[in-house]
Amino acid sequence: MLAYIINLVTLISINAVLAITLNFIMGYAGIFSMAHAVFFGVGAYTAAYFALNVSASFFLAVPVAMLAAAVLSLVLALPALRVRGEYFVAASLGLQVLGVTIFSEWKGFTGGLGGLIGIPPVEFFGYGLSSNTQYMVLALACLLLVVLVTTVLLRSSFGRNLKAIRDSESAAHAFGKNVATIKTLSVAISAALTAVAGALYAFYLGFINVESFMLDTSVLLMAMVIIGGTGTLLGPIVGAMLLMLLPSLFSYMWFLPATEIGSIQQIAYGAAMILLMIYRPGGLVGASKKQVAK
Amino acid sequence: MLLLQLLINGVQVGALYALIAVGFSLIFGSTKVFHFAHGATFTIAAYIFYYLYSVSEAHWILAVLAATAGAVAFGVFMDRCIYAPIQRHEGSFFTVFVASLGAGIIVQNLVGMIFGRGFVSVTTPLSRSIELLPGLYVAPLSGIAILCAIVFFGALQIFLMRTNVGMGLRALSENPELVRVYGLSPRRLSTIVFALGSLLVIPAAIITAASSGLNPAIAHHIMLISLAATIVGGVGSLRGAACAGLLLGMSENLALMYLGPQWSEAVTFIVLFLFILFRPSGFFGRAIAS
Amino acid sequence: MIAMKKVLAVGLLSFAAGASAVHAADVTIGALFPLSGPNASYGDVFGSGVNLAAEHINADNLINGKLTVQYEDSQALPQQGLIGMNKLVNVAKVPYVLSAFTGVSKAISTTAARTKTVAVNGGGVGPDLADLGPYFWNVIPLANDEVRAMLPYLVKERNMKRFVLVYVDDPLGEGVRKELNSTLPGVGGELVEALSVPATAQQFSGIAARVRAANPDVIYIASYGSQQSQIMKQFRDNGITQQFVSYTAFSIPETNALPEAKGALYTSQNIDWNSSDPVTKRFVDDYKARHNKMPTAYVANYYNAVRLFGLLAQELDKQGKPITGENLLAQRIAMKTFDLVGGKVTFTENGTVISPMQINEIDGAGGKVAAVVKE
Repeated sequence: MLAYIINLVTLISINAVLAITLNFIMGYAGIFSMAHAVFFGVGAYTAAYFALNVSASFFLAVPVAMLAAAVLSLVLALPALRVRGEYFVAASLGLQVLGVTIFSEWKGFTGGLGGLIGIPPVEFFGYGLSSNTQYMVLALACLLLVVLVTTVLLRSSFGRNLKAIRDSESAAHAFGKNVATIKTLSVAISAALTAVAGALYAFYLGFINVESFMLDTSVLLMAMVIIGGTGTLLGPIVGAMLLMLLPSLFSYMWFLPATEIGSIQQIAYGAAMILLMIYRPGGLVGASKKQVAK
Repeated sequence: MLLLQLLINGVQVGALYALIAVGFSLIFGSTKVFHFAHGATFTIAAYIFYYLYSVSEAHWILAVLAATAGAVAFGVFMDRCIYAPIQRHEGSFFTVFVASLGAGIIVQNLVGMIFGRGFVSVTTPLSRSIELLPGLYVAPLSGIAILCAIVFFGALQIFLMRTNVGMGLRALSENPELVRVYGLSPRRLSTIVFALGSLLVIPAAIITAASSGLNPAIAHHIMLISLAATIVGGVGSLRGAACAGLLLGMSENLALMYLGPQWSEAVTFIVLFLFILFRPSGFFGRAIAS
Repeated sequence: MIAMKKVLAVGLLSFAAGASAVHAADVTIGALFPLSGPNASYGDVFGSGVNLAAEHINADNLINGKLTVQYEDSQALPQQGLIGMNKLVNVAKVPYVLSAFTGVSKAISTTAARTKTVAVNGGGVGPDLADLGPYFWNVIPLANDEVRAMLPYLVKERNMKRFVLVYVDDPLGEGVRKELNSTLPGVGGELVEALSVPATAQQFSGIAARVRAANPDVIYIASYGSQQSQIMKQFRDNGITQQFVSYTAFSIPETNALPEAKGALYTSQNIDWNSSDPVTKRFVDDYKARHNKMPTAYVANYYNAVRLFGLLAQELDKQGKPITGENLLAQRIAMKTFDLVGGKVTFTENGTVISPMQINEIDGAGGKVAAVVKE
């Protein structure tokens, strides 16, 4: 039982990092990206490729993955600079579909549809992590790190600039803030931290394929952020925990037919999204609708 | 001959895409609501038609009417019971979009639970191609699709240009506040738009059920096409959405001349992405303030 | 289908009820199937074979204690599969897990190797499934064997020489393509064109045009699930009248019910449904009585996977050894050949099986066997 919980905690931590980084651009910069799974994938594939061909050292594979994701995030930043709202959602959707196609076709790097298997365990100074407990500690440590980094950033002037842009881009521009640079930086930071989760995922599972990085994953991550609460620090973590535990919770409800559990669980979070938007747009952790600023 | 065949395929597929996109473009352009659940409307209509026509073996007219009723009911329900409460207190693009997304997820799973998650299709001799010229195959269903597209689009134009309600809808997309000043109710007009937009999915839903077939996840694909066509064509322009739908259908097929099939879907999105980067207002849309 | 769900639900109910009062002697094995999501119908098919086998084992008292199967939902996705596998290995402590879908199998193979739990595949046929370690077994012949069995028959018996391959570019499709390229020239055939389709594609009219332009005699389809039905329907709609050919994936009910699939040929492990061999006969008779239809290849494969466990466990019980993954592996290597549905099946060194194949034809009425191919 303990080992089962350790496994769940590891996966929840990884998903929490993803939710936090998505919240960073969604809740604070107002950039509604439906392509988050693509950066998750870039991080995972880069780390895996690096580990398989060069070195499995944590201090080499992870920064390389972060760099790759940050550079690629410029592709997402471009439309973010040009358009907002619906248009940006469409562009990010396009990027997501494109990303999946590339992941599926670029056999040399991603292994194509077959994926990459036999990814070596991540190494710290030559010592390879082997037990699930060690991976859980690593995942929690990374989660803590990401929370720290995002908190520091948000409390700084960079964070204030981000919120200014979210609330009114033209006003921020009028005040002399370099909107383009700030937006690009925030997308790059978010992508780099997402890649950390990707690398962790690849090392932990030892196998990755495109099925983990499709549109459904992006939608699930968005649901985590929304249900937990955008624009809060605790929200994404709560959302990640809730949505990851839902399947297990439902499977213990013996009165539900096993074949429909997956559907029922999706219906549950779809309904949660609707109800929250009507009554509590700030999400579970966020402000109730009366407190939400107009 | 391959080129000609792909061109004709492109027009067939494009006509369907145009029909699908126009409904979404109408709703989005008039009410500014990002009706992501439009794909769900399509799914509901298609499955009702499939169930009544193929499984219960009802007369096709009855199936069409039931599908229409279902689609319109769903569209109006979304407007009245979900978008309206949200718009009353906050109505930012984000909250509406998320609620729509949630609705889409629910419908997809309910449909899967009720009708099964596998692939289903309506069998009809109309989907079989006839060899018009050696190497050139066209199905009667494609002819019907193109005809429907022309008829529906024409009817829509007349409605919007000539009738009072139509003019009210056009006014709504320009300036909702001013509409109120003139004594019309934006709320009522909004409901009409949703009903109309949802109705427009019917021909595409039925033809898709008979040609490529259905599965509960089809809403994703529909939504992506509608979105791409609406933006490429220009938000607020129905003509644009129709042309863009046609263009996307053709580019998807013509790409097969030179690229492998695995890149067809990607081509559509590269086109969309480029438009958003360089010409977000699309073909015919108004220039948007950044 | 509905009956199947009821059986699964009732089964799960009783397992859940019994789980709180498990006897020390009871033996549990795990099953990691897609119980929900787009591939849930496969989970139903596989589960029906598994349940029947468990029943037979219990009826025969083949092992000490009652055999129960714990199902976990993989949704056919790697991450979900891993969570389910963890639950089976760490909470239910099973020594033997039935797996399905290549992505899931690959994701759980490291856990299987590390915890010395046996994982058995009875559905996927990709060549990459042979390389997942000694604890990963396959009770179904893999793709190369399937293709190799089909080609001589088509070229010689049906006089079809020009092949076009429509495939999903994963290791299975890639394996089929390699096999066609290497084997066809030798038997007098030719692979005229190979068209890769994305796994999520739903529109095939354009590809149909390209297939027509290549003018083949026969079209090999390497896809699965709903997509293979969509391909056949749209190809027929677009004027393609040639022969369709595929591998075991065509055995699913959804494809057999498709009118446009009539006449299609596909390979599967040779199982003579009318055989008088007692194991096969009992399987077929009981399945027919329970489900009112004939079983198919996938049902038999997963029945065999469970029966294999029963046979191995029986031997271990006789020798007084505990039923662990390690012991099961050693026992399998020692015994090598087993009496399963369809006849005797022999395991090779790397945990795959060799068996004669048969060529089936879809006729809209339950299918028939067109030919049997002995290696």
